[in-house]
Amino acid sequence: MTRPSRWLANYAIFAALIAECLVLALATDAFFTESNLANVVRQNAFTAILAAGMSLVILTGGIDLSVGSVVGLAGVLSADALARGASLPVGVAVGLGVGLAVGAVNGLAVTKLRVPPFIVTLAMMLIVRGAAYKYTNARTISGLPASFAALSQGALAAAIMAAVFALAWLLLMRTPFGRHVYATGGNPEAAWLAGIRVHRVLLAVYALCGLCAALAGVLVASRLGAGYPKAGEFYELDAVTAVVVGGTSLFGGRGSIWGTLAGAFFIGILNNGLNLFHVETYDQLMVKGLVLLAAASLDRWRTEGA
Amino acid sequence: MSLLSAASLSKSFPGVRALEGVDLELRPGEVHALLGENGAGKSTLIKILGGALVPDAGEARLEGQPLPLGDPLAVRRRGVSIVYQELTLVPELTAAENIFLGRERGRPLLRRREMARAAQALLDGLGARIAPGAPVRALSLAQQQLVEIARALAGESKVIILDEPSATLSDPEVERLFAVLRGLRARGLGVVYISHRLEEIFAIADRVTVLRDGRRVASSPVADVDRAQLIRWMVGRDLREEFPPRAPAPGDAVLEVRGLACPPRFTDVSFTVRRGEIVGLAGLVGAGRTSVALALFGALPGVRGEVRLDGRPVRFASPADALRAGMGYVTEDRRRRGLFRVLSAGANITISFLRSLAPLGILSPGRERPAAAAAAKEFDVRAAAGLAQPAGTLSGGNQQKLLLARLLLRPRRLLVLDEPTRGIDVGAKAEIYGIMNRLTAQGLGILMISSELPEVLGMSDRVVVMHEGRTAGELSRAQATPERVMELATAG
Repeated sequence: MTRPSRWLANYAIFAALIAECLVLALATDAFFTESNLANVVRQNAFTAILAAGMSLVILTGGIDLSVGSVVGLAGVLSADALARGASLPVGVAVGLGVGLAVGAVNGLAVTKLRVPPFIVTLAMMLIVRGAAYKYTNARTISGLPASFAALSQGALAAAIMAAVFALAWLLLMRTPFGRHVYATGGNPEAAWLAGIRVHRVLLAVYALCGLCAALAGVLVASRLGAGYPKAGEFYELDAVTAVVVGGTSLFGGRGSIWGTLAGAFFIGILNNGLNLFHVETYDQLMVKGLVLLAAASLDRWRTEGA
Repeated sequence: MSLLSAASLSKSFPGVRALEGVDLELRPGEVHALLGENGAGKSTLIKILGGALVPDAGEARLEGQPLPLGDPLAVRRRGVSIVYQELTLVPELTAAENIFLGRERGRPLLRRREMARAAQALLDGLGARIAPGAPVRALSLAQQQLVEIARALAGESKVIILDEPSATLSDPEVERLFAVLRGLRARGLGVVYISHRLEEIFAIADRVTVLRDGRRVASSPVADVDRAQLIRWMVGRDLREEFPPRAPAPGDAVLEVRGLACPPRFTDVSFTVRRGEIVGLAGLVGAGRTSVALALFGALPGVRGEVRLDGRPVRFASPADALRAGMGYVTEDRRRRGLFRVLSAGANITISFLRSLAPLGILSPGRERPAAAAAAKEFDVRAAAGLAQPAGTLSGGNQQKLLLARLLLRPRRLLVLDEPTRGIDVGAKAEIYGIMNRLTAQGLGILMISSELPEVLGMSDRVVVMHEGRTAGELSRAQATPERVMELATAG
């Protein structure tokens, strides 16, 4: 591949995001307003946080389909603890803890049982969703303190998202662990022979992905003002879409956390723009599907060019 | 009258002349052995004859008609079938389905019973007791080989080429295969049989052609030659002065291996490497040398026996442990097991010792970059676009030096180099040899696995020879002649 086209392939998502914003700002009056932009950030902060964790897993060449269910279970358990009178930090910690635990189980099943990640996390998606329904008897848990609702207010939600991405960047680009994630995804056998403890790396990325999902789950519950066992359904697909549209290779070893952030917002703003143009929901789904297909083809092309 | 004839076939790959003006003549009803060291050009030759490679020059004829070289399907339809070393069956399909794969009978609906009957007849004809309905994954390697041969026969082959079929077979299985080949010969087919094992040549072949360095050295009826003559033909090149002189001053033992075993890969391996010494580990492909290296490096489970590093007994549970103890292993398979092709050259150098470059857990480019640059300079890794260049875009020689730089970022006691000059050009080879000399002068011990005899003889202070999972013998530099090494490697 020639230099300019490689550059284009690597930075396509950022160019696309900027172009998208420009088009919407010029074509509509409603897009470039403070309230709409705040709305876009608030609506997409959760997906972005999920996608940050998903990035780690996909960089190792895996996938985590259980994150949507973890959103539901973590929200329900946090809400339940708070409704029973736990303090805010304890209530949040309960939710985060369960996400970490589910992620660790995913990681153990992938490394010790050697079951493919797709299957492990598909099974976990069902188990965790079932657990959320069973724990609540499919009811909504309400009566949460006002301090909990404050967590997902616009500015704070945006700040939490920014913190997650800053930490994810630090971890991936400035620690040995992050380099090991790329190495494991790029060539697991070489990674092991180079002295990287590949199983520990995998265990950690699934645990961190579970943690991110739980954080998103707590924020969703805060936003809804209730623990809702159905919360987060299909979020795993939004997260994978954001990561792939953001240019991370599903084959592992290649991608960036900023690409994921851009991918999440590209999809979010696409939805926003289609709404502003009054495009029907059904058509929106089809557009999203086409964007995902285009992004994945771009990845394929880039991988073969290397 | 010749059945298959190839005339002055030549083929070059970047940096290598794989085949140079090679002739081959196969008569009907003949088993023709193709013999040669690793890298002599056997595989290239049969890939050309099978249509998988297009020669740069030369032609091949079947019964006088030119073969459409470069078109595997057309060549196969004309009646030339190849059974490659890596079997090409689909494990989840049955024997019959595999035999008729790509030329199923019945359109639009398969005539399954007819194919099963035909498969049964073919398998019976080979004396193979295999049910046509058996899934291939449930068959032994020998049985799979027979299914491959049955597949070749189903296409009405006139010529069957077998690429080292015995490498994966036990002795009784080889005997059965030979019985099959004699049957084919009696039916007037031509068989090209590739093997390293000299005794097999005498057991089955009518004529033998020996390749060396991409040229045909000799063709002769097997009855007219003896073992010693074949070995002379195979290795009889003069050792050119491509190896820098060595002045070894071996010190204490750095690695002692006693009765190391990891069945079924290898069963009894013992040797010693001293400080400042290069020990060559020679043997045929499949003798278990790479497995020994991986076992020493903590990369294989189920290893028994005694290993001492600097006198202390060690047993590494993982490569990470081995690296920490001061060992290093450079793989024979850079692409699959060595390099991170997408990561930068610099990141490839530092990957094994990142924690020591990250005080407080945070990597600092200010520490990492100079460390990588210094190592790259020491081992003369040349990257046109600097160390930020993806490692996959470096030349083979620079990739190899990159892997050495990675290991030697921290001091090592012992290096295991697995085919250290495979796939790199002559200039880079000399550089690698220079590096090996420099490292041993600094007191490192090196165990060098090599399938290139000149390299083994030119660089080793001692040679340990393996044969079928055991150390078959040890030769001093003075004792190590091509013939002695080959004898130990082929006969144990």
